Amino acid sequence: MDRDVFERRLSAILVVIAAMLIVLLVRLWQVQVVQGDYYLKLSEENRLRDTPIAAPRGVLVDRQGRVLAANRGAFTVALLPLEVRHPAAEAAALSKILGMDSSDILTRLAEGRDRPFEPVRLRRDVPKEIVAAIEEGQLDLPGVLVEVEPVRQYLYKALAAHALGYVGEINDQELRRLRSAGYELGDLIGKDGIEQAYDAYIRGKNGEVQAEVDAQGRVVRTLGTVASVSGNTVVLGIDLAVQQVAEAGLGDRPGTVIAMDPRDGTIVAMVSHPAFDPDVFVAGIKAPVWNALLKDPQRPLLNRAIQGGYPPGSVFKVVTASAALQLHLVTPDTGFNSPGYYNLGAWTFHEWKALGHVNFIDAIAQSCDACFYQLSQRAGPSAVADYARRYGLGEPTGVDLPNEASGVVPDPAWKERVWKQPWYGGDTLNMGIGQGYVLTTPLQIARMMAAVANGGTLVTPHVVTEIRSLDGKVIARIAPPAAGSVGVSRSTMDILHTGLAAVVTRGTGVGTQLPGLTVAGKTGTAEASHGKPYAWFAAYAPTDRPRLVVVAMVENAGFGAENALPVVKQVLQVAFGIGETGAAPSGTPTKPATAAAPVGPAVPGAAPAAAPKAGQ
Amino acid sequence: MSVGLDRRVARNIDPYLAGVTLLLCVFGLVMVYSTTRYGLHPLLFVRSQALHFVVGLLVAGVIVAVDYRSFAAGAKWLYVVNLLLLAAVLVAGRSSLGAQRWIPLGPLGQFQPSEFAKLAIVITLARHMSDRAGPYDSVRDLLPFLAHIAPPMILIFKQPDLGTALVYGAIFLGMLYTGGARRRDLALLGAAGVAVTPLLWHIFKEYQRRRLLSFLDPSLDPRGAGYGIIQSKIAVGSGMLWGKGLFAGTQNVLQFVPEHHTDFIFSVVGEELGFIGAVLLLVLFYVWVARGVRAAAVARDRFGALVAVGIVSMIAFHVFVNVGMTVGIMPITGIPLPFISYGGSALMTMIWAAALLLNIGMRRQKILF
Repeated sequence: MDRDVFERRLSAILVVIAAMLIVLLVRLWQVQVVQGDYYLKLSEENRLRDTPIAAPRGVLVDRQGRVLAANRGAFTVALLPLEVRHPAAEAAALSKILGMDSSDILTRLAEGRDRPFEPVRLRRDVPKEIVAAIEEGQLDLPGVLVEVEPVRQYLYKALAAHALGYVGEINDQELRRLRSAGYELGDLIGKDGIEQAYDAYIRGKNGEVQAEVDAQGRVVRTLGTVASVSGNTVVLGIDLAVQQVAEAGLGDRPGTVIAMDPRDGTIVAMVSHPAFDPDVFVAGIKAPVWNALLKDPQRPLLNRAIQGGYPPGSVFKVVTASAALQLHLVTPDTGFNSPGYYNLGAWTFHEWKALGHVNFIDAIAQSCDACFYQLSQRAGPSAVADYARRYGLGEPTGVDLPNEASGVVPDPAWKERVWKQPWYGGDTLNMGIGQGYVLTTPLQIARMMAAVANGGTLVTPHVVTEIRSLDGKVIARIAPPAAGSVGVSRSTMDILHTGLAAVVTRGTGVGTQLPGLTVAGKTGTAEASHGKPYAWFAAYAPTDRPRLVVVAMVENAGFGAENALPVVKQVLQVAFGIGETGAAPSGTPTKPATAAAPVGPAVPGAAPAAAPKAGQ
Repeated sequence: MSVGLDRRVARNIDPYLAGVTLLLCVFGLVMVYSTTRYGLHPLLFVRSQALHFVVGLLVAGVIVAVDYRSFAAGAKWLYVVNLLLLAAVLVAGRSSLGAQRWIPLGPLGQFQPSEFAKLAIVITLARHMSDRAGPYDSVRDLLPFLAHIAPPMILIFKQPDLGTALVYGAIFLGMLYTGGARRRDLALLGAAGVAVTPLLWHIFKEYQRRRLLSFLDPSLDPRGAGYGIIQSKIAVGSGMLWGKGLFAGTQNVLQFVPEHHTDFIFSVVGEELGFIGAVLLLVLFYVWVARGVRAAAVARDRFGALVAVGIVSMIAFHVFVNVGMTVGIMPITGIPLPFISYGGSALMTMIWAAALLLNIGMRRQKILF
């Protein structure tokens, strides 16, 4: 083709492009200069407001579907950063109404800068009178918004507070960690217990209303609504009636009660006292209340069942007995002499009672310290420590609750490392009866007893059994696999079973004899560094095919048989539906006596007939 | 093949084109910063864009140094590789806003082959058209070229990326027109394209249909696609004559305008710099395009001239459709504003296009057409 045509066409292209740009210029002139005022006004008045619709948290129910934690509607006062004209003045006015520091309000407002068209929540669960006060003064407080939000309600207040946990506003640290998982500023999040561990299932999905509002903050029209999706229902292994009797049995004494199915580790009751009212956290706990909880010498926030470390005392003899039997140091018929003390070199170890001549079964039944001093000395500290670890002591049980403690299983190497001291013979003796450096969580003891009860399997405890969607479909079944096997012989187990049954039939635990139910267990009275000893009782029942392990530990209470045992007994009675208990918990919201029949991890096939009051 | 820069050749470099290109890129970085400086990492986007800018410049240096005719030599390979990459997007691509456009590259981020494909198609079509130099006396003479762009166009359409496919159409028309095709033949092809459009309706994804419909009537879907147009017009219009000032846009801050750092970045230019700023930006684009046309005019061969025309068509179409979209006279098609919009693949493609123009312009010498 010829050059002229090419150049002509090239020019034509440039002309076309110039024309297109001129079209754009004309249009820009029209939009920006001719209609500029109009659009400027629109840009000032046209505001979008994204109001989140908080999703109701999933309901927590016990094993029979009885609701433990639900939601109620509450008023939340929020600020829309965009619509606040005079932050300082409004913060001052609001601080009076809400009882907050105005500097707090300003800080929160500043935090919301990132997303100025989303409300910043100031205070949740505001009383109606305050809502009325705000609505009245609405004109003076542009940008203040009152939303109705679902907040957590614990139907039984402090019942199982540590296992359930509580809910609070997400903090900076959590937000940094969880932002990628869709958490946002102002979200409510599980802070402890099940609420924390299963938050992803429980929290649901927030919805959103997007609306166009005018310069006065009035909604002109709703542009779109995304409904919130309620969280999933969490089914706990906890049985309300068993939990209630355990709570009542422990009363206001500091301590803990655990009931667990030894076959699969399902926790049926978990009590830790003193407890706290989880409802106080929902509205944003006030600093003085929080500080009081933190500084309380009784440590109400501590879940003693899994976070406390206690010397287990004679309950530990299960471990020492296992080691001695496995090492063939003893048979059921081995005779012991118990003069009431034990000499090791120049040292004399006193024991609680002089028993005279006893065999090994009676040594367990009567909790003979001298006998176990002797056995632990012969087995040696490493073997005892080895068997303690086989029973899962010294390591977290893997329960589905946050911040579990490990406890301590000491041995010479450990003492050298931690205390920079050599291991003494006396340390071995102390360890053999669960004193000295041994520290366990009550849940570890429950798991140890479960291993004995089920013949040697180290189960993984878990509070939750199922997650269900709103329409009742099972989303997840929580059945963690067992951690392994203890690895002791059948005959060792048999002898342990005989010994622990003897504790109840003729030993320190006779107080738990119940009509129609065979119980085995072990008492413990562990000396505390100050105050009276820790009282322990750990039991399982029925002895032929155990379906429940119950452990009670009462801090600084005295003898296990006197202080912990009655709690265990009451729990067993309710769990297995044995007659009316003499110590029926009073003032509890439901009727455990009538509800008792079909509860518990399993009900004995033949319900016991008229149950006479068990002697105390 | 001549590699390396002869001094005499280097003296011919077009300072206006190079200068305007750099100016546009720097302006783009400023605007990307203005639109993305909120949140926890205010420099996140602008840093990524700057990195692509620098890498783009380094590669551009190589492109300028190599005689552009070596690209003609490699055209066949370029065509095949281009098709493979576009096919790879469909297989391995990451989807965004309902379309697959990116190939993830692990730590290197991701790249969008359809951006590079624009440049590749300019080069390969120019080679094809200089091999088959015409004259084009009937529609039938144009069919080989239609067959040339159809495969990549279809692949891009399937992503689906309506906007980029339309860019191909603009490139095709521009190059064939200057290449000597008869007007009536081009009109015929254009008419055929329009006739096929109803068929495309079925291929469109739901969101593309909504975009087209809401272009015709924005109030149909104020929260969805129409919302973008309304908010963008409010942003641009509220800038008025002088703008609200750089970094002072309120619609920008509120992120009312969707995709305001990528496709809708011009709305922020309009809001913050006003009519004056918008006009200055369009003038810069005009200077750029005019220097590109000049490169085409002085090119030493048909291949170079056609490459230059293809690039000019591509950029002009981008600017017109993109800016037109933000002021409501063009449908929302997802075409970035060259050199300005956030997006590494697009930025590098545009820089390399400029480098090719510089290359063609400075190796002019004798004109043998």
